[in-house]
Amino acid sequence: MVLTERQNDALTELINIAFARTGAALSELTGHRVLLDSPSVALHLASELDNSLSRFVPGEVAWIHQVFHGPVAGDALLLLNYEGAVHLTELLTDESSDNSRLDESAREVLTEVGNILLNACLGVFGNVLHVHVGFSVPRLRLDTIQDLIAWLNRSRGELRYALVIFTRFQIKDSQVNGYLVLVLNMDSFDRLVKEIDEWIEENERKTINP
Amino acid sequence: MSHKIMVVDDSAMSRRSLKRILESSNYEVIEADDGMAALEKYFLEKPDLVMLDMLMKGMYGLDVLTKLREIDKNARVVIVSADIQNSTREMAKEAGALDFINKPFAAESVLNIVTGILSEENTI
Repeated sequence: MVLTERQNDALTELINIAFARTGAALSELTGHRVLLDSPSVALHLASELDNSLSRFVPGEVAWIHQVFHGPVAGDALLLLNYEGAVHLTELLTDESSDNSRLDESAREVLTEVGNILLNACLGVFGNVLHVHVGFSVPRLRLDTIQDLIAWLNRSRGELRYALVIFTRFQIKDSQVNGYLVLVLNMDSFDRLVKEIDEWIEENERKTINP
Repeated sequence: MSHKIMVVDDSAMSRRSLKRILESSNYEVIEADDGMAALEKYFLEKPDLVMLDMLMKGMYGLDVLTKLREIDKNARVVIVSADIQNSTREMAKEAGALDFINKPFAAESVLNIVTGILSEENTI
C-alpha cells in the first residue's frame, strides 16, 4: 500500500491535529506544560514492525492496548519508554518511586492515562473523518518490544498494516518517549484512505467556496 | 442538606479526581467501580446524580444507563468519558444522559454542569 503525496500530507496533518489534542490532554492531566515534538509517521507491514520500533525504545516498554471498532477497526497501542512511564505516573500521583518500578497503583493510573490519550487521538480521527470509533476497555502490559510484536502478530493470517507515529513529550524537564501504533487490516486501511480522500476534497471545497 | 452524587468508574484515579472536585463543593460522594455495583448502590443509596464512565470492565456505561432508567425513570445521569467524538456525545444524549463530560476533568466545568443539573437545569 503506497499513499499518494496528497494522502500522506493529509494523514500527517490529521495526526498533527490529533497529537495536539493528545498533548493538551496530557497537560491537563499532569498540570504541567507539555512540549511535543512534531510527530513522525511511518507505514509498515505489521509483521515488519520490530526494526522500526526497537531502534527508539530499547528494553522494556509500558504499553496500553485498546481494540477499536467501527468502519475503521483495529488495534491501538500507546507505547512509552519504561522510565518515561514511571515519570508520568509520579507526576500524576505526586509520589516518587524509590525503585523506579511500576507498582499496581501506578499501573492502574497508567492504564487510565493510556485510555485518555488514545481516545484523545483517535477521537480526532473520528470527528475529522466523520466515522464513529468505538473502544474496548484498555489493558496495560509491560514487555519488550519483541514480545509486543509477537503478541500483535500471533495467529493472524491476514495482512495488516501498522501506522506508526513517534513523538517525544517533554514534561517538567523530563522526557517521555512515546509511540502510537495503529494496526489495521486491509479493509480498514482502505476505508481510512477513502475517508482521508473525502477529507481532502472537503477541505478543497471549503477553500474554493469558504 | 448536601446532594449525594454517585461516581461510577473502574479507574480509581478518575474516581479520586471526581471525588476531590465534588467534595470541594460539599457534595456527598459515593463510589462504584463497575456497573453491577452501581446498580446495587443506586437502589440502596438513591443518589441525586450519577456520574457514569462510558467504558468499563463488565457492563458498558450506556448499558448501565439503560438499567438505571429501568430502576428509576427519573434517574439523573451524566456520562463521563475520554472519548471526544461528537458522535459519542450524541449516543449518550439519545440514551438519556443529561450531559457529557470529557476526561481529563476540568473542575470548573464539572461543577458548572453538576450545579446546573441539580438545580433542575437539565440540558445537554
